[in-house]
Amino acid sequence: MPIKIDNYSNEILKNISFSLEAGEHLIILGSNGVGKTTLAKILCGMTPSKAVTIDTINPSKVYGKKRAKLINYIPPKLDVFDEFITVHEFLELGFIGGVVGAQHPTGIDDVLKKLQLIHLANKACKMLSSGESQLLLIASALLHDACYTIFDEPTANLDPQKMQLLFGLLKDVTTLQSKLIITHNLDLAYKLGYNILFLEDGAMKFYGSNANFFEQKHLDTLYDSSVEKRENNIVVKL
Amino acid sequence: MKKVILLFALVLLTIAPFFGQIELPISELFNSDSMEHKVFFDIRLPRVLLAFLVGGILALGGLIFQTVFRNPMSTPFTLGVASGATLFTAIAIVLGFSTLSPLFAFVGAMMTVLILFGVASRFERYDSSSLLLVGIALSFFYAAALMVMFYISSLQESYEIMRFTMGSLDIVGFENIIVLALTSAFLLAVIFKYRYELKLLLTSYEFAYLKGIDVKKTNYILLFAVSVAVGVAVSFTGPIGFVGLIIPHILKTIYKQSADKLIMPIFFYGGMFLVLSDLIARNLGTTSDIPIGVLTSFLGAPFFIYLLIKRKSS
Repeated sequence: MPIKIDNYSNEILKNISFSLEAGEHLIILGSNGVGKTTLAKILCGMTPSKAVTIDTINPSKVYGKKRAKLINYIPPKLDVFDEFITVHEFLELGFIGGVVGAQHPTGIDDVLKKLQLIHLANKACKMLSSGESQLLLIASALLHDACYTIFDEPTANLDPQKMQLLFGLLKDVTTLQSKLIITHNLDLAYKLGYNILFLEDGAMKFYGSNANFFEQKHLDTLYDSSVEKRENNIVVKL
Repeated sequence: MKKVILLFALVLLTIAPFFGQIELPISELFNSDSMEHKVFFDIRLPRVLLAFLVGGILALGGLIFQTVFRNPMSTPFTLGVASGATLFTAIAIVLGFSTLSPLFAFVGAMMTVLILFGVASRFERYDSSSLLLVGIALSFFYAAALMVMFYISSLQESYEIMRFTMGSLDIVGFENIIVLALTSAFLLAVIFKYRYELKLLLTSYEFAYLKGIDVKKTNYILLFAVSVAVGVAVSFTGPIGFVGLIIPHILKTIYKQSADKLIMPIFFYGGMFLVLSDLIARNLGTTSDIPIGVLTSFLGAPFFIYLLIKRKSS
């Protein structure tokens, strides 16, 4: 079931159209304030729009499992209002079906181990560091396992080891069904190797293969020579 | 600590009806012709039950409002439901329908609910803070209208209105208790039906949405149920402040658990708090009882500040 957005425009975005097949992965790049998060919220239906369909269903028009199965969005920051909800409780809610009352979901401990969070299982979410919160969000995405999962700057707060851990997960094409990754980390984008969507001034400036995007000439025009490809790494000139 | 408090609460609930201005020897209680029997079963027992049910409704209302508005300072009165009830009671008194004032109060509360949801349905996108602002604006409007009522009323009427705004648990017989018990059951049933949704709302609206929740509908249903229940409670007792604000906070500090697990404890201890407040109000030895609303604020505010200091310093 493909996700499609057909000629969408608002105050920020202009004429956005693309589609992605289930099982394909995509990286979304663009400078601050260009509309990446706005686009993510439109795709999820959080900002309702007629332009979006997933398998011909508009995600803002359906409720319950039906929508939860289609698409999930992982924000850059964890937002939990209640100060006593623990990591484990948060993940119980992260399950599809948590809504309809899965009392003893399995698999939470496995995911916690995978992300090296198991020692925090009974800690309150509010007490986590920003990096730990980010990993918790990733854990909830793995448990939720929607058809499309959008990660909004998933590596912003991670230390180098955690970054490697997350890179491994994102690089693995069997992790989740389809991943859309919003990032500012060009090296990460390059090494993941997925197709690139580049936004500039709210419009789609580039949509195509990773290899084409990361040609030095192309980078120079897009990033005003602030980025350089050096020994197979993408480096920001400082 | 939890067990000690529970034990204390149960003892309190049992002995509460026995204390008051008139001493009640147990030997006379079961003599159905005695004055003591009448005092106990027609006045004391209904009063304790009234305090318990109203306290429970107000406390639970506070929990729901704080969750839906994601604001620890909201109370069941924040949306103006109590002000609506108060204004209409004042209107009833000024028009000479004092005996019908509970009915007027209920109409006032329900009218407020209808205005709120009528306005909310015109919002293009769901936005709980706008709803909150509409509630606050309504409260100010009602407060001004109440001033007009004070201005045009006689001295006697002014006094009656004033007493209503202070809250009162005076009640005779069980008819009203049955209405309140049904109201409490309705509120608890709605909250239990939506407890998973409630737990998701305790994270964030966005997270709840992504799990498939219809956030707007869920919030409206919860707010509507609370407003109806609070409207019924206020129409019998007048606005009793502070219960809805402090009980959820106190219980969270004691239990240290997420709010969805505290539904029954908050109802129970909200009720107990009002029973205790009323017990104190009835037994201070003054010629007339201290208004219950005054007492809850006197008890609640310092204790609340104490808890906040304790929590912030540990």
